[in-house]
Amino acid sequence: MRDFILKRIAAVILPFVCVYGFYVIFHGHISPGGSFAGGIIVGLSYIAFSTIYGIEKGRAKIPDKVLTWTESFGTLWYGLMGLVGIFKGVPFLANKLAGVDLGLPGALFSGGIIFYIGLGVGIRVASTMITIFFTLMEDQS
Amino acid sequence: MTAMIADNLPVLVIIVPLFIGIVLPVFARRLRLVEGMVVLAEALGLVGAGFLAYMVVTRKGADWIYQVGGWPAPWGIELTANSLAVFFLAVVMVVSLPIALFTIGNLRQEVGGNMRTARFYTLFLLLVGSLAGMALTNDLFNTYVLVEVATLSCCGLVSSHGTPRAAEAAFNYLILATLASSLVVSGIGFIYVITGHLNMGFASQGLEQIWQAKPHAVWIAISFVLVGFGLKSAIFPLHIWLPDAHSSAPSPASAVLSGLAVKGYMICLLKFLYVVFGPDLMKEFSVDRILVLAGMTAIICGSVMALPQNNLKRRLAFSTVAQVGYIYLGFGLMDINGLAGALFYLASHAAIKSALFLSAGAMISATGKKKISELAGIGRKMPLTASVFTAASLGLIGIPLFSGFIGKWYLIAGSLDSGDFLPTIIIIAGSVLCAAYLFPVIRVAWFESPQQAEQVNAEQQAEQPDSAAQEGSRGIALQDEEMHSGQQVQQTAVYQNVQENTPPGNQVKDPGTAQKLALILLTAVIFILGIMPGPFIALAKRAAAELLMLR
Amino acid sequence: MKALLEKLIINYPYFFAVVLFAIGVLTVLTRSNLFKKLLGINIMGSAGFILFIASGNIRGGVEPILHTSDHEAVYVNPLPSALMLTGIVVSVSVTAFALSLIIRLYKEYGTTDAQRIARMRNEVKKIDSNDRR
Repeated sequence: MRDFILKRIAAVILPFVCVYGFYVIFHGHISPGGSFAGGIIVGLSYIAFSTIYGIEKGRAKIPDKVLTWTESFGTLWYGLMGLVGIFKGVPFLANKLAGVDLGLPGALFSGGIIFYIGLGVGIRVASTMITIFFTLMEDQS
Repeated sequence: MTAMIADNLPVLVIIVPLFIGIVLPVFARRLRLVEGMVVLAEALGLVGAGFLAYMVVTRKGADWIYQVGGWPAPWGIELTANSLAVFFLAVVMVVSLPIALFTIGNLRQEVGGNMRTARFYTLFLLLVGSLAGMALTNDLFNTYVLVEVATLSCCGLVSSHGTPRAAEAAFNYLILATLASSLVVSGIGFIYVITGHLNMGFASQGLEQIWQAKPHAVWIAISFVLVGFGLKSAIFPLHIWLPDAHSSAPSPASAVLSGLAVKGYMICLLKFLYVVFGPDLMKEFSVDRILVLAGMTAIICGSVMALPQNNLKRRLAFSTVAQVGYIYLGFGLMDINGLAGALFYLASHAAIKSALFLSAGAMISATGKKKISELAGIGRKMPLTASVFTAASLGLIGIPLFSGFIGKWYLIAGSLDSGDFLPTIIIIAGSVLCAAYLFPVIRVAWFESPQQAEQVNAEQQAEQPDSAAQEGSRGIALQDEEMHSGQQVQQTAVYQNVQENTPPGNQVKDPGTAQKLALILLTAVIFILGIMPGPFIALAKRAAAELLMLR
Repeated sequence: MKALLEKLIINYPYFFAVVLFAIGVLTVLTRSNLFKKLLGINIMGSAGFILFIASGNIRGGVEPILHTSDHEAVYVNPLPSALMLTGIVVSVSVTAFALSLIIRLYKEYGTTDAQRIARMRNEVKKIDSNDRR
């Protein structure tokens, strides 16, 4: 696309969209939204970049290998967080029982492992959205 | 450490395949490592399932209830390791290990590309993990999520060939399976609206108290669940997606789809009907009659539809439609022998149909032929594969000494107990029809002259352009039943591609060691289930008793 | 009649869920365009979601977030919404997968019409059997 205005506006807005997505991921446990919604926003900021500036440029920003890694290990991170409970001798995915400090309600670092799980899920969702986009674009061409 | 693992076994059995499966694409470059990890995950799952079964069987009285996250029942998700759960878990792990072994070394040429192979394994392990979850979970919504994971994995496995035919089959399957999922989720929604619980035990208590006040809502919930899972497990009038999907998938995928995935949905239906709604409500709404009727129709119609199929995998797929009928019939008998027979038949059919699909796949990939008539004399060239196919066929028909016989025996006993002779007649007629569609394959494989087949082979070898080698993977993609002779080049390419792994001059022979091991393991399972069914039938009877007398 | 109408108005989300479900099923079963089938599936899924979410609503309830000021507030049931988030994730994956299948079919056959695809496939088969003879 050769639209100058679109490119300029995207250049200004998209970084903020991406940061906002991370904001939603990080505040998933204390406010509406969450890791899925936040991950979608992060992914969409990147997808918008790729559609406006061209697929090639978008691909150059994040190699396939990185996407595969984030996709796999975002989920694995969830599993590892669940294993914390097992290592403490309580059931899988236990939070307070595992002795994790829950913090003050409403604070950013509260909710024990939920915060960290949300991080993993957000990364996974973002990379999955990007992978879906690229797969569909590849299929089309 | 050991105690730590033993205490958390119900959840570990589910998450180990899931999480090992998910990291596989990272190691796609090193396919040996990926295969090793898959077999490792399967082996761990098998050991875990065996140990869990041992612990549940030796533990008298109450079920082993595992609370995920430490949250107690009405709020948290429960995993219940009871006899039914460990029975199905053992079936899943015992049958999926040989299938995983079968894929070693030869999946890449069927699917094409390292990354695609790794993703195939990811889907395979996701399916295995979700099936294990379906066996164990005691939560309605958790069941829905696991069913969805299994459905998407199945669709991915169906389309993993990359052919347009497979894509079409996968799309039809996806649409119908998602329709079924919507029905299931609406059914769960109705149960939740009526009772306010998603835990199976609590929902069951709620339904017991309230169903007389709101019979219509319960009726809607039952019918949604019944049609939803019926569509997913391909009971006769709702089977239309199955033959296409199961015959156009790669052979290991067909084996796991026909052998295990369909069974998982049936176990879910069993849990919904017997655990959530309960035997009394089933009788009240005459669900048992519906199940028996659907089962009998499926046995006859599935077998009759399998008869004219000339494509080997299609014939086996239609045979699955018929065999699903036996299990539904057993579910509907509401009798301890019938239900135990249905569970045993489910296990036996899982092993038998996997063995049939894997040996058929080995024959097809060695010869490049898909039609039964073209497989003449294959028994001389691939003795082991053809023997396994024969043994599994005899098992499916229900010859004594094979596992199918025991299952049918108990089903007949159950139907006689319930005082109805029609199911008995149908079961026997189904066996005869089963013999009618499987014996021709055996006859062609062992007793028909291979002259014709060799002639065709020679023809193909005569023209072997070098350029075709480059198109090898493309040739695989087009290896489909509607390949017309204008595509002879590609056909040769397929042939050549297969030859790469086999020494020249002796093209059609038994597959490699891992594949042989897988086939022998499955045959051993069929024989063990048939010769000494004692402990297995005892476990199935215990599960049936728990289901029938839960209240 | 009036009582029935009143019930309908009070429970309007359930009514809409039923209507959406019917529209979805009708679209899936009667349309031969693959895209429309996919849309029908999504509409049908939404019906299930609405059914679930409506069951969690309490008239006059507030969002279930810890409020420091009033402890008397009635919270709506957050569980159905949380569950349906999972359902939405599932429907996103189904849609993405179905779209990629549609693209593959379109590349092969040049159409997204299921009946035309089936016809083209059968024609190929017919040519095939003629050639063999």
